[in-house]
Amino acid sequence: MKFKGAQVSMAIVCLVLGIVLALQFRSNESSPRSLSSDRWTEITVQMENLRRERDFLAEEVLELREKLEEAAASQEGNAVKALREELAKANMAAGLVAVRGKGVIVTLNDSPHVLQPGEDPNLYLIHDEDLLKVVNELWAAGAEAISINGHRLITNSEIDCAGNTILVNVNKIAPPFVIHAIGDPQVLESSLRIKGGWIETLQMWGIQVQIQPSDLVEVPAYKGPIKFQYAEPIKSGAGNA
Amino acid sequence: MWLVVIFCMIIGLIIGFQLPIFIPLVYAKYMSVAILAMLDSVFGGIRAYMENVFDTTVFVSGFITNALLAGGLAYLGDRLGVELYLAAVVAFGVRLFQNLAIIRRYFLKKSY
Repeated sequence: MKFKGAQVSMAIVCLVLGIVLALQFRSNESSPRSLSSDRWTEITVQMENLRRERDFLAEEVLELREKLEEAAASQEGNAVKALREELAKANMAAGLVAVRGKGVIVTLNDSPHVLQPGEDPNLYLIHDEDLLKVVNELWAAGAEAISINGHRLITNSEIDCAGNTILVNVNKIAPPFVIHAIGDPQVLESSLRIKGGWIETLQMWGIQVQIQPSDLVEVPAYKGPIKFQYAEPIKSGAGNA
Repeated sequence: MWLVVIFCMIIGLIIGFQLPIFIPLVYAKYMSVAILAMLDSVFGGIRAYMENVFDTTVFVSGFITNALLAGGLAYLGDRLGVELYLAAVVAFGVRLFQNLAIIRRYFLKKSY
């Protein structure tokens, strides 16, 4: 065996090489192939485009609804007039019309608390449940129209948690959360500030809450699609209420 | 000699596949270049062995420093914004092929 050292050193070196090769193979396998940086940028660009398209279409929906109103207005006649008033009421109830009136503006912001090591950051952030509780309180206190960060809440609006953002009407919103609610300002405010209520709990954790009663609160119209795929009206003999 | 190489590589591969260590994806590129340098060292060592000029110190030191240098060059290239790892890839690739060619010639000579 010439060069005794040769065999040993070669053996060790090959061992190391084998180990490193295997580790590298495994690491490469585990990374999802489809997320090469090209694909990543491609997907991001696609998402941005879709988002822009969605926003544009939402604006168009608003305009078209207004045009529909005007078109219907151009044909007056008593029966049509009565129908249009019914329609206006129904639209308002459905949240398709921008409304204004007395109410409150509630602003919620995450706690500026500096995290100590070992503390759970979730305690100092606003979650979807917090928004839900506040909105529920407002409805219970007689609010007639509510919007969060410019998104009108209608009967099937959701306030959903998506990773670390909140979705309303499938739109991502981020703090500060500004809730416009139309109703009796005093009743709304006092029901929010009730002792033992959710606002009190939130404020304990340092979540910044501002409730501002106002004489002129504007709540925008609902911009999204309204489609009934599964629900059908039950045709009763009497007319609608 | 060959048995040693192949046997140990296989054992190394098996151990590596079983080990729960994961190389973070950020370092994957540097590791790849370092592996290339290691492969070149191994083949250089085999060639030196065949030419009877094998020196253990040269071999082991070359193995370690080449791997570190290759990885370091790749990292430096990333920081500078220049694809310096290409230099390592080309250099080690060329040497790899050269060594392989020489080894192949020795084998063919021996089998005459």
